[in-house]
Amino acid sequence: MSPNGSAPLTKQIVIDGLWRNNPVFRQVLGICSTLAVTNLVLNTLVMCVSLTLVLAASCLTVSLLRHFTPRNIRMMVQTLIIAFYVVIVDLALKAYWPEMSSNLGPYVGLIITNCIIMGRCEAFAGSNPPVPSLIDGFFNGLGYSALLLAIAMFRELLGMGTFMGYAMPYFATHWDKWIIMVMPPGAFFTLAGVIWLCRSIKAKEAKGS
Amino acid sequence: MIRDKPWFAVVYMFCVTAFFSFIIIGFAQVTKDRVKANEQLAFETAVLEVFDLAEGKTPPQIHQTFVDEIRKEDDGAYYVRLDGDKVQGFAVVVRGKGFWAPIEGVIGISPDRKTILAIAFYEQNETPGLGAEITKPAFGNQFEGLRLGSKERPIGIKPFGAELADNEVHAISGATQTCTRLETLINNDLSKWLAGTAGEGVK
Repeated sequence: MSPNGSAPLTKQIVIDGLWRNNPVFRQVLGICSTLAVTNLVLNTLVMCVSLTLVLAASCLTVSLLRHFTPRNIRMMVQTLIIAFYVVIVDLALKAYWPEMSSNLGPYVGLIITNCIIMGRCEAFAGSNPPVPSLIDGFFNGLGYSALLLAIAMFRELLGMGTFMGYAMPYFATHWDKWIIMVMPPGAFFTLAGVIWLCRSIKAKEAKGS
Repeated sequence: MIRDKPWFAVVYMFCVTAFFSFIIIGFAQVTKDRVKANEQLAFETAVLEVFDLAEGKTPPQIHQTFVDEIRKEDDGAYYVRLDGDKVQGFAVVVRGKGFWAPIEGVIGISPDRKTILAIAFYEQNETPGLGAEITKPAFGNQFEGLRLGSKERPIGIKPFGAELADNEVHAISGATQTCTRLETLINNDLSKWLAGTAGEGVK
């Protein structure tokens, strides 16, 4: 792989994952976890790190095995690989960060069902070499994380008046807390708002070019 | 090609599964002791919290204090804080079904078995930000100083805004299921404890 040949491709993958083909607002994948874990920023952050690790590692593994895996059982193999990494993350949290493990509860295990991972494995890693697959997984994870963190910050601030658990000036004291923001309906409103915003910017970009 | 042969899929799946399972089993073995220790520590911390002994202590200190000051009663349902031979309070273990998964906690009770000292949870998987708020001071502090009610219904959890008797606390808005189940599981275990030891003199 020559540096000249791979550089533009890598850049392409990075921009696709972060913005042009962002898993949340463009592909609208992984919405279940977007709705579920975005009411507190710290939980969201750990969830995003876990998902990005699992996604990058799964893409790499699927890509490494792509020449050996029979086509008709590839989904089974992908699910197995994803579940493998999720269990590892879950065990690691239980052993080394028990407080966070109990905060996130069932959501870590639910990373297995996150459609972004299956989507990237199927759409990219299954037919591309390991290094680009790793980069693709990693930056799709970052694209997902960026959106989730934005949503979580907004929800925690308006709903609880805090950021990462720390009281914020004005919001903690004078702001009449919108409890609904940290409850499930708040997630729907915020997610819709963010998708609307991001797609409006994209529409402008498209017109400009 | 070999990978198009029907038997290959079976053999391949078997090998891949065996390979990944092997790693997971190994990793689980490596972390097993840590996970167990974390669970035990969470429990000991909860017991000390209800006696107000946990604050500012490192994990080894918490374990030491637990060993020094807490005695387990024979039935295993509650733990006693001792000062010499005198009982300083009881820590009753309460557990049962939560909304998602079991909730397990400890309720501290004064030596005369009438007043709640504090409540602490060491195991719960409720929704973060909603049901999981039961572990936060805003909810837990309400329990301090509650007078236990009748044996059948020692405590009550009422909707936010309702008038409270002196054995009741306010629920968390948006966590009705968690609070209803919490009320049931606390009352079940407290009733059992009250019935089992009622009339018995403090040793």
